[in-house]
This record gives sequence, C-alpha cells and structure tokens, in this order.
Amino acid sequence: MRHAVREFPLSPRFVEGGSMSSVLSQAIVELEPQRVATLVGERLEAGHDPLQVLAECRQGMAIVGERFQSGEYFLSELLLSAEIFKDAVRILEPYLAKSGPPEPAGAVVLATLKGDIHDLGKNILATLLRAHGFVVHDLGVNVPPAVVVDKVRETRPDLVGFSALITTAFESMREAAGLLEQAGLRDGVKLMVGGGVTTPAVKQFVGADFQSTDASAGVAYCLSVVGGQASHAC
Amino acid sequence: MRAESMTCDERFTTAVRLGKPDRVPVVPTLQAEGAAGYTGLSMAAVAGDNQMVVKTMFEVFDDCGGWDNPYPCAATPLQLQVTGSHPMLVRIPGRDLADDEPFQLEEREILRLEDYDTICEIGFEKFFFDDYLWRITDITPDLLPTELAEAVSGLARFAAGCSQRGVTPYFLGAASHPFFTLSLTRSMTPFTQDLYYRPELVERALERMTADLIERQLPLIRSSGVDRWLFTEERASGFFYPPTVFERFWWPYTRRVVEACWSEGIVTIFHLDQCWDRNLKYFRDLPAGSAILEFDGLTDMRRARELLGGHLCIKGDVPATLLAIGTPEEVSAYCRSLIDDVGRDGGFILGTGCCVPPNVRPENFRAMIQTAKSHELA
Ligand code: B12
Repeated sequence: MRHAVREFPLSPRFVEGGSMSSVLSQAIVELEPQRVATLVGERLEAGHDPLQVLAECRQGMAIVGERFQSGEYFLSELLLSAEIFKDAVRILEPYLAKSGPPEPAGAVVLATLKGDIHDLGKNILATLLRAHGFVVHDLGVNVPPAVVVDKVRETRPDLVGFSALITTAFESMREAAGLLEQAGLRDGVKLMVGGGVTTPAVKQFVGADFQSTDASAGVAYCLSVVGGQASHAC
Repeated sequence: MRAESMTCDERFTTAVRLGKPDRVPVVPTLQAEGAAGYTGLSMAAVAGDNQMVVKTMFEVFDDCGGWDNPYPCAATPLQLQVTGSHPMLVRIPGRDLADDEPFQLEEREILRLEDYDTICEIGFEKFFFDDYLWRITDITPDLLPTELAEAVSGLARFAAGCSQRGVTPYFLGAASHPFFTLSLTRSMTPFTQDLYYRPELVERALERMTADLIERQLPLIRSSGVDRWLFTEERASGFFYPPTVFERFWWPYTRRVVEACWSEGIVTIFHLDQCWDRNLKYFRDLPAGSAILEFDGLTDMRRARELLGGHLCIKGDVPATLLAIGTPEEVSAYCRSLIDDVGRDGGFILGTGCCVPPNVRPENFRAMIQTAKSHELA
C-alpha cells in the first residue's frame, strides 16, 4: 500500500478530463483508513464545508468503482473502500446534520427476503449506493414481502433491490414483485435482483428489470435509472 | 443404446487419471436439504436426525437408479457446526426457523484479532474446542461428545449404505482451507482488513494451520480407506481477491497440502465455489492427476478444460438455480453440452454446481442423472 506524504492545505485538485482527485479522494482510492479519518477530521476542524468533504469522499469511491469495473481493483478493494467511506460518513454526519444533507441522487429500498439471512452482498451494495449519493432504505434480512410493499408505499423510491444467496428466496422475490404489482406500486419503481445465485432466468422468474452478481454494475444501473452521474453532483 | 462396460469405480478412477471412461461419471452433491426437497420431506425432518439424513439421501439415490459415487451426507446442521465444518452461528429449521426453511448460517465477526496469536500458540483445533465453539453454539459442553459421536456414526452409516449398494463414497475425509476457515470465523470484511492491514498476523496463523492440517488430515484420510479427500475453498478466488493476495496467502499453502497428499498417492478434491477464471492457471503447477477441481456454475468450464484438460480432472457444474427453476429439457441440454465440450477427451466428472438446492425439481435432478448415463452410450 502506498502511504502518501501528508499535504496541507487540502484543497481539491481538479484534473483535466473530468476526473477530480483530491488528497482525500486519493487516500480512499489507496485504501488508507487512518489517513482518511485524519484528513476528514482536519478538514472539518479547519471549517471546510462538510458537503465538499463528502463530495471528495464520494469522488474517491467513484474512482474505486471505475477501477473495479476495469478489472484493476477486486471485490476486496471495493469492500475496504466501502468500510473507509462508512467511517468517514460517521465523522461527517453531525456536521452534515447542521448544514443540511446533500440533495440525494435517488432512493432505493433494499432487502434480503424471507427465507434468506445473507447480507454481505446487500450491505456492500447499500454502501456503494450511499457513496453515490442515494438514500438507501435497508430493510435487513429475512424480510416478509409485505414489509417491502409498505416501505415502497411510504418512501416512493426510484428502485427496489433484492439480494439472495439461496434459491429458496426466489419465491419470496416473486411474491414481493406480485404484491408490488397488486398494490399498484410496481410501475413506479425499477426492480433489481442480485446475489450469488441469481441469473437472467431468475430475473425472468421474478419479473425484475435488472439482474446482476456485481454490486458495482448495480450502482451503474441505479445511476442510469435516475439519469445521472450522481457521484459528481452532490 | 450400448451397455456400460465399466464399474463405477473403474469409471471414476479412469476420469481422475485423465482418461476417457465408457461414459462420464456422475457425482452430484446431494446434501440433506436437496434430498429432503426431492422426497418432499420438510427441512426440519432432516435437521434434527442424521439417520434420517442418510436414509433420505439413499432414497433419492435408489429412486434414480443410483449414480457413480455418493457424496457424504450424514450430518445435521448442529453436527456441521460442532465438527467445525460450518464454524458459524446456525439457525435450525423446526427450532429457530419454520419447518420448511433450510438451515441458515449467520456470518459474524466471532474470531477476534487477539485469537490469531492463540491459534499460532495452540493450533486451531484446540482453540476451536476449548474456546471458539462455545461462542457460536448453544449446546452445552456435556452434549458435545454425543454430537461428535453421532457425526462419526452417521458417516459410518453412510459408508455402510454405499457398500450395500456396491459403490464407493466420493470421499470420506474433508477439511476447509485454512484461508476459508479464517474468512468464515473472522467474517469476510474484517478478514479482508486483516489481509491488507495486518498481513503478518494472518500469515503466521496460516502457517500453523497448514502444518496442523497436513499432520492431522493425512492419517485420517489413510484410515478412511478412500484415497482422496475434499478440500473446500469458497472465498479466495479472483471474484474476491487480486492475484497479489492469492499468491501470498493462498497458493503456497495450498500447494504444500496437495503435494504432501500426493506424495502418498492421495488425490485432493478441491471444492471451488464462485468464479475461479482468473486463478485457473495456477493449478497447472500441481502434479498431473493430483487433484480434482469441482466448480459451482460460475467458473468457465470450457476455459478450465482449455487450461487444465489432460492435467487435472474437472468436475461440475449444473447450477443450483437451473435445478430449482429450470426444466428437465434445459437441464439435459446443459449436461449434454458439458459432456460434449468439457468431457470429450475424458478427465471430466459431471456434478452439480455446489449443492442440489432444497427447492430442486425432482424431474430436473433425474434429468441430470439420466443424461449422464445415456448421452454417450446412445
Ligand atoms: C461462502 C459460501 C458459503 C459459506 C458461508 C456463507 C455464509 N456467510 O452464510 C459456507 C461454507 C458456510 C456456506 C454454507 C452453505 N452454503 Co454456501 N456459498 C458460499 C458462496 C461460495 C459465496 C457466498 C459469499 O460469501 N459471497 C460473498 C458476497 C459478497 O457475494 P454476493 O452475496 O453474491 O454479493 C455480491 C453480488 O452478488 C452483488 N449483489 C448482492 N446482492 C445484490 C443485490 C442487487 C440488487 C445487486 C444489483 C447486486 C447484488 O454484490 C456483491 C458484491 O459484488 C456461494 C456461491 C455463490 N454463487 O455465491 C455459496 C452458496 C450461496 N451456498 C450454497 C449452499 C447450498 C450452502 C449450504 C446449504 C451447503 C450445505 N448443504 O451445507 C450451506 C448453508 C448456507 C446457508 N443457508 O446459510 C449455494 C446456495 C444454493 C441454494 N441451494 O440455494 C451457493 C449459491 C453455492 C451453489 N452454487 O450452490 N456457503
């Protein structure tokens, strides 16, 4: 791992060609948890705009995502960056609460449905979505399909995502999709399914709009649904 | 249709030695949940009684007219936990879950950072029984000997069922890769942080666990009377980690284990879940014929054959999802194409992509077995 020398003051550097990279973003890309925490703390203490600090963290996550897509980074690196991002947001939260949260890129309801309690994949997707500016309503694991419907009715998200690692969860997914339909809520959302056991046939079985076993592809899909490069817009 | 000209054992051995048998051997991973699903039993019925597990598995075996080598299937979820096979919190149907739900494992950070030192000092096995197990199980220590004895007798019953039917178990000895054990006990995220931020700690534990594994496992395999064993890894492939991690924390230990076994003529059956496309080339460095590689439907089988055909036996990979929601025609077409593409020169065993799922459609499973038995003899 590269340990960058500390640089002050920490103003973002904008690189031609669209890819912004500050020291903070870079520390995320280099997967350096302590350094990220220190940088975020210092920036906030120095009175920097928390929204700007958050934007730089998200920028780092976007670069990690690009590297993952290109095959340079692996799931492990996605996982580590997600943890670093979560810690950074924890430090930022009280400041963001004061200044008002950023405009969300969109909203997603996520769940592992009844009959399945695996959540590693769902949690990775949730963090990556948050890093791209989405509000995520994570319903947890072993969720009864009716609970999904209630949440969708209450929050009117852009997308709903189900994660599964066992095949017996397919029925629950299909049931949830049917209940959304019955409640007249299906047309208002895009439905995604993902997780190690899902395939295009499962997408069909459930009647979903999108299927993937790659969280980062899921993020790209969500971005395409809400129509934007949210990571640059917060 | 031509008649079969080999016994199950001859067929299996020919494939492992990279030859072309009379027809492809077929060895599905039928566990308690798949067997219960096939026969219409509830998940709870097989979760509390391993006699029922063995009985149900053979019921399916007999109903299909048998297959080449039965996959050991003789333990309840609790026994899988206390023997260390699934070293995690477990939820059991009929007890913690509805009767019709398959058992569930809950992955949490149970192994703590300081435990790495303990593992290095006393070895994983002693640590497991002295300390770790009591963090995950809800049985009391006085019941442990009974559960362990039950697990042993279940396996004996399974072996007896095999010999009654004139077939040899696919294996009897089994262990998880030390890397996998650490990933499950520490949980994936903390373990990944250890690999990147505290690599020496992991390395020392892997050293100790690998040495112990070789020392403990070899006599067990020898005494099992079956000269192969199952070595499971589901968390090390290129789906999860870059080659730098794989080359430092997985491959050297793996090689050591396989070579130790092979020096005694013991074949290692790798159970390799998830996508191994980016890791296939490493296996070329193992001695020819020293291993069987089982894939779960996510590795490119044709690529595996291209890179490893004629060097190591390949097994797989009818996906659990296909068995659950596909049709018999789709299953049969999938099997035929595997047999034709991957098995045409031999060195191939038709298997399921990991387990037969609890919601298997019985007609799909039968289609798989029947296709294996008839396709090349037609
Ligand atoms: C490691 C593993 C285990 C481990 C631990 C699993 C655990 N924590 O509980 C152990 C060895 C203990 C285990 C046990 C068993 N396992 Co298992 N296991 C796996 C394996 C190899 C990897 C799972 C994993 O850790 N993935 C890591 C996470 C991060 O990946 P992920 O969830 O797929 O998420 C990624 C993407 O899919 C995506 N994603 C996830 N959700 C979503 C959602 C959306 C909307 C999108 C867009 C993307 C997305 O984001 C993530 C990152 O990219 C899978 C193989 C597979 N195909 O996945 C089998 C698998 C899940 N296991 C399987 C089985 C059968 C079992 C057992 C029943 C075996 C047995 N008889 O003992 C038991 C019990 C499982 C249980 N019910 O709890 C089967 C399930 C099939 C089925 N029948 O339903 C699988 C699929 C293997 C197979 N091909 O058959 N298993």
